[in-house]
Amino acid sequence: MAQGWGLGALINLDHYGHYIHWGVIQVSVGNFIVMVLMVASFLAALFAPFPGRRNRKGAK
Amino acid sequence: MTKKPFRPDVDAPVYKGPYVPYDIIKEGAIAVLVVFILTAALALVFSSPDEKAVTIKTWSNADAVDFAQTAGDELAGTSAVANYGAPYNNNGTSQHWGFLSPEKWIGVRIQINTTNDFVIDPLSAQPAQPALSAALSQWKSASSATQTAWDDAFNKAEPNLTYSNGKVNIPTKAAGPIPVLLNYETQMARSGALDQALVTQAGFYTTNFTKPLLFVSDGTYFAGLAEKQHLSGSQWGMMNETGQYPGQAWLWLYTFWYQIHPYSTSASADFLVWGTMMILTALMVLVPFIPGLRSIPRKIKIYRIIWREHYAAKL
Repeated sequence: MAQGWGLGALINLDHYGHYIHWGVIQVSVGNFIVMVLMVASFLAALFAPFPGRRNRKGAK
Repeated sequence: MTKKPFRPDVDAPVYKGPYVPYDIIKEGAIAVLVVFILTAALALVFSSPDEKAVTIKTWSNADAVDFAQTAGDELAGTSAVANYGAPYNNNGTSQHWGFLSPEKWIGVRIQINTTNDFVIDPLSAQPAQPALSAALSQWKSASSATQTAWDDAFNKAEPNLTYSNGKVNIPTKAAGPIPVLLNYETQMARSGALDQALVTQAGFYTTNFTKPLLFVSDGTYFAGLAEKQHLSGSQWGMMNETGQYPGQAWLWLYTFWYQIHPYSTSASADFLVWGTMMILTALMVLVPFIPGLRSIPRKIKIYRIIWREHYAAKL
């Protein structure tokens, strides 16, 4: 953290984390959020239309 | 010449559909710009983990009893590192999977004698002090049977060891010079001199922290900090970061094996997990050559969702 520069995190995450327990599975909330974003990105890549599709109609 | 039959997972069909212009440089430039903006914004908002390094000095000042107990174990040769085996010594059973035992094959590459490396040598390098010099002489001139008897007496008294008024108190009179040695060792640790001594033993460049790290790992203080931060092996710690930061989520499969039998109870868990991951990695790399496995993408047809416009036009 760049405290020497007078800058710090706007949101401080240097506290003990929160964890989700489900049987043998333990996952931190931070990791869970990243996983959800990864799955959402994958689904978006599958289902979101390609940008500029309208311009390509009829292209050969 | 006879025409070879078309093999769907190996041969690529000739593409007969339409073509469109596509600027991959533009897409790459946009992707780099988006990632740069995201990185800068996330760094500004969340910064990065700022956990202070744990040294022998911080450990011995935070928990002098745990430090002195661990130093006693190092002196007696009963600590985890003292009995780990290769690559540090020949005292333990190497991790293995059947006859496979790379640790044993490679042998002792980083010789660690915890008695001398962690206690006797650093104390011997201290400026001469009568009580310390006498205790060191007593230890060095004693037979191994006598040292073992002192160690046994220390081990019995170890659970009742206390620290008060700057002194380590070991409630036994049968431990020979061990109480004096551990008092000086603890003083040295609390001043930071032991960190320096263990690093400078490694050579001219003071970048080799193997010895202080191994010493710290033998205590319960460091493991306790790791438990609080969910960083230990049984807590999926490999994929966690300190604080509330997201960690290495992609290591989920690596750390998953440590949670289940037989990995979770095996003394060779590290090697078993590594071996399992190597087999799975080989399967992934060799997917194009494994019949059945290589057909999965074609059969589950996810590609038809991505290229739905193309396949819709073919209907």
